[in-house]
Amino acid sequence: MMTEVLLEARDLVKHYPIKTGIIQHVTGWVRAVDGVSFDLHKGETLGVVGESGCGKSTLGRLLMRLEEPTSGSLNFSGVDMYKQSPTGSAMRKLRRDIQIIFQDPYTSLNPRMTVGDIVGEPFDIHPDVAPKGSRRTRVQELLDLVGLNPEHINRYPHQFSGGQRQRIGVARGIALNPKLLILDEPVSALDVSVQAQVVNLLESLQSELGLSYIFIAHDLAVVRHISTRVAVMYLGRIVEIGNEDEIYERPTHPYTQALLSAVPVPDPSLKDSRKQIVLAGDVPSPANPPGGCRFHTRCWRMTKEQRQTCAVEIPELATHDDLVGTHDSACHFAQVHRIEE
Amino acid sequence: MATNESTSSNQWVSSNGRLLDVEDLHVEFRTREGIANAINGVSFHLDRHETLAILGESGSGKSVTAQAIMGILDTPPGFVTGGVVNYCGVDLLGLKEKERRKVRGAHIAMIFQDALSSLNPCFPVGWQIAEMFRIHRGMTKANALKQAIALMEKVKIPGARERVKAFPHQFSGGMRQRIMIAMAIALDPAILIADEPTTALDVTVQAQIMDLLKQIQEESGMGLILITHDLGVVANVADRIAVMYAGRMVESAMVHDVYANPRHPYTIGLLESVPRMDAKSGGVLPAIGGLPPNLLAMPEGCPFHPRCRFAAEECRQGSPPPLTELDQGSRYAACWRLDSPEVTAHIQGGSDDD
Repeated sequence: MMTEVLLEARDLVKHYPIKTGIIQHVTGWVRAVDGVSFDLHKGETLGVVGESGCGKSTLGRLLMRLEEPTSGSLNFSGVDMYKQSPTGSAMRKLRRDIQIIFQDPYTSLNPRMTVGDIVGEPFDIHPDVAPKGSRRTRVQELLDLVGLNPEHINRYPHQFSGGQRQRIGVARGIALNPKLLILDEPVSALDVSVQAQVVNLLESLQSELGLSYIFIAHDLAVVRHISTRVAVMYLGRIVEIGNEDEIYERPTHPYTQALLSAVPVPDPSLKDSRKQIVLAGDVPSPANPPGGCRFHTRCWRMTKEQRQTCAVEIPELATHDDLVGTHDSACHFAQVHRIEE
Repeated sequence: MATNESTSSNQWVSSNGRLLDVEDLHVEFRTREGIANAINGVSFHLDRHETLAILGESGSGKSVTAQAIMGILDTPPGFVTGGVVNYCGVDLLGLKEKERRKVRGAHIAMIFQDALSSLNPCFPVGWQIAEMFRIHRGMTKANALKQAIALMEKVKIPGARERVKAFPHQFSGGMRQRIMIAMAIALDPAILIADEPTTALDVTVQAQIMDLLKQIQEESGMGLILITHDLGVVANVADRIAVMYAGRMVESAMVHDVYANPRHPYTIGLLESVPRMDAKSGGVLPAIGGLPPNLLAMPEGCPFHPRCRFAAEECRQGSPPPLTELDQGSRYAACWRLDSPEVTAHIQGGSDDD
């Protein structure tokens, strides 16, 4: 494709044990991530969307190696990450290149540390990035870069608003000049008018510093704005992946179609022209996902004849026609469906 | 006010045909740091069958308005310092707490954002729904529980009969919100206030809950006050919108007018700053700069002027602009510069040009 591949995930699996009783004996497994593969190119933003419990945050933690995978491989700029010793020097070097920004700017910053200490802490672990003497100047540069007043270096997190706190989190995230930033719902906790400011900041940082983003969010409108490619997850698997316009304009998976139709568009004149697909029920438990296609229990498009296939055979991500081109979707009967008339 | 518990509240109609009339409401919070003026003169009304959306960011006073109407403001530190909340000809603010309690739930009910923390974790959900009937209607335990099951079926909780004895933690987020709705509509209230009812839910579940509220409203004709910050939800369900900023109403109009021709600079900025899902909005989002004001240190003049790109000298001093009637009384906006060419450039043309 266009540029070199930065990150290559193959069949990532993470199962958590369910333990019961006094002896904590394992009675089952929560299949949080269950076979996820994708490529991330340099300078690109991959949006990951899905409902709560679909495994998108666990995926983010796997990519950081904050969790050890049950199986699968992750290749980051030519190095197989999971083959490295988790505490070795090679892994430490890799961690510098992959940083994460969390959703909640209220709990992800230590209230007892000043902003300078928070943003400068990565340098304690990686002293070669900024020598001791230049550290304060470097922190002030970073604060300036994310749109905060460098003179506020001695303030504490509680003296800032939500949007400003998220900027502090971003400053800490880019302190070590990473190649990849994992953004786990970075704007969900912010007010609408402040959300746009932070989205703009992330976009300008990306072009200035040549970063690649994994943007995990449930807000489909924000994801469309910021992403070059989008992956839709359902119960631990990617059900559809493609370029931003392929997913939003010509989705072929019935889950993507339902998800997109459920998002209310801020324009009352479109209210009657958009056909909403309301899915019945809730997402099934990832501890006991349905057999065959995981979506078949809520699928609105499945016919009686198709049921024999959908309930038995697991659909793989495969290329399907979307009327204009082709992109990958995991449905036996993938086809484009128009939401707007 | 005659509060005969057995009368359905829907028989109540005030002299001017309006369900609720809020006039010049003032609420302040007396904190250690000083007095925070959370609401500074808010006025609006609600008719039967109508959905009014109160739109605003955190700290704009939208939830405090609802709490003041319900009479569930934490006092202290919150105090209602002025205004009238006229429900069917009676000023609720003048009622004694004992009388107010009869209005709450039976006539005006409320659902909250976080259903898990609004339900009591120690009691079965059926018992909690039935509590409404036991306390307000004096029903026996068995009868009340029967009513609770009927309500759970009405809000489409599958297997209501079996799940009536289940506890809140055994339900999903969407189901818990349905239980909240069941409790709120139990006594057939004339007004339902929904404070961010779907903010904590996934979009697919959000669609289910909004559908349910709409259906209940159509059946009972209740007035719905929807408090939210989500411009998408508002566009889909509201009839009228009131936009709040820093404890004031800055714009109020029918839903189509607000989205097609926003008049107040804050509304204009808000609509521009939201990315759209149905179109790729490349490039930089036109964000509103700055931050919402600190209620303890309000700027002089119009509270929005430090963030307003149209602000002029008149906006920075004196008293805040009053809510002015526009288009023969069909809409209102509070801005000194409503007729200036920069602001009116957004009328008809939408918000493409800057």
